[in-house]
Amino acid sequence: MASITDHVVEGLKYPFNDIKKLLGCGILFALISALSVFMSTKSLDIFRYCVHLAENTNTTLSHIPLSQLPAGDIYIWVGLAILSLIISLFIFGYQYRVVRFSIDRKEDLPGFDDIVSMLVNGIKYFIVIVAYNIIPALILAGGIILVGNSSVLLIISLISALLFIIAFFLQIMALNNMVAHDSLKKAFDIREITDNISNLGWGKYIGIIIFTIIVYMIIMVAVNFILSLITGIFIAAISNQAFFVSIFIAVIEGLFIDSYGAIFYNRVFGSVYRESIK
Amino acid sequence: MILDIYKDALEYSAKDWKTLVILGVICLFSFLLLPVFLLTGYNYRVINTAVHGIINGRDPLPDFEDLIDMFVDGVKVVIVQIAYLLVPAIVFILFAVVSRQLPGIASSALMIVGCLITFALIVVACLMNQIGLCHMAYNEGSFSKAFAIGEIKEVIDEIGWFNCIATYLGLIIITLVISSVVTAIIYAIFTVFGISTAILGANPSGIFILGILINSMVTMFIVGPYLSIFNARSIGLLYTMQI
Repeated sequence: MASITDHVVEGLKYPFNDIKKLLGCGILFALISALSVFMSTKSLDIFRYCVHLAENTNTTLSHIPLSQLPAGDIYIWVGLAILSLIISLFIFGYQYRVVRFSIDRKEDLPGFDDIVSMLVNGIKYFIVIVAYNIIPALILAGGIILVGNSSVLLIISLISALLFIIAFFLQIMALNNMVAHDSLKKAFDIREITDNISNLGWGKYIGIIIFTIIVYMIIMVAVNFILSLITGIFIAAISNQAFFVSIFIAVIEGLFIDSYGAIFYNRVFGSVYRESIK
Repeated sequence: MILDIYKDALEYSAKDWKTLVILGVICLFSFLLLPVFLLTGYNYRVINTAVHGIINGRDPLPDFEDLIDMFVDGVKVVIVQIAYLLVPAIVFILFAVVSRQLPGIASSALMIVGCLITFALIVVACLMNQIGLCHMAYNEGSFSKAFAIGEIKEVIDEIGWFNCIATYLGLIIITLVISSVVTAIIYAIFTVFGISTAILGANPSGIFILGILINSMVTMFIVGPYLSIFNARSIGLLYTMQI
């Protein structure tokens, strides 16, 4: 490998090795996107109901008693949220396998056999993400609740943003380390993680990750631009069906684009790990 | 030596009109954002061929296979360019911010100095940027080599700063001359058409619109790609001029 960016090229090509499995992963993403469209319309319904209620009873939104909220809508919303969380656990499990295959230098895409282990791995992946992001998130939330609106809040949110960034960079190597040793403990072995990174060189490590993210963003922005053009055309052409059009577009995006992106960056991050333990 | 570069680059870019048309088509779709990076990626390939080739040799034009590779190279090129151009931009903003705090004549004086420094920085940054890209291509696409300021400065020292700047000025002049001459010729032809239509008694505006259309088509499909390959090839050859 002459340059570390060759891994990005390899990662971009990798999902094309097995289109069927890419689509299989895409189905999961498509479900998530369709669910999120449903969820946002549901939450809009709830919000609209609350605003009407507040207007009729002359109170502010935050003073509406819980008992008057539309129970049915909220139950549906919570149900959808739980469903999408379960699906995302499967997606995390699949990403775990992609990283595994990348570390093992396998050229084909992982399959969907052994659902249970996929779910378990997904939960592990999820725990690591939560654990790494919980400190900055708590700081941010605590700052908003305790301090309220002032310049101190700005400083607190800057600190938490910085922590989020640090956590993000550590988290990638932590996930890799966990997948490579197949044990949750290794994800929190900070010494080994930083050793791995300094083995590769911090500049190189941060550089490759930022580069991967830039490539990912460019693809996403371009594709979303095209898709929003298509959505506009459809909505203009078919009257009164904007909801179905947006679901259709969301499914298309989940099926092809989100899955491609996820497999791409997990592949690249896996190869970064492989490079770092050389 | 500089004239040799131009001669080789002019011939090289005219080797295959199909390549020019393909680049033109990519350029036509560049509003979709992704093709922009294919264009810069192709330029990178031209540079790559040039720095590994020899002047007046029989280097072929790079082909369009392996689009993903080309795309990633294009992203690299854009990042390098942005990073280099950020330096003069930041200096300019600093000067603007500081001079706003000063009263009256001192403010304008500082701003003029700032503009001069920014201009000098832009020239240096463009030069370093192009040679940096060549240096990256020469070292098989290693990103850090594009920012190895010390090595790049050595390369420019070996070529000679005067030679580099002269080549750049020449490139700018040739680009401007070619594009304006082509436009002038097309407009001359269509002016003749339009006047003769007017003499015959028809409305000549259609002819003029057609003229503008054809001009933009020729610029996009033939002249633009030609000039971009020409520029990339020249820069790449300039890099090989180090002793």
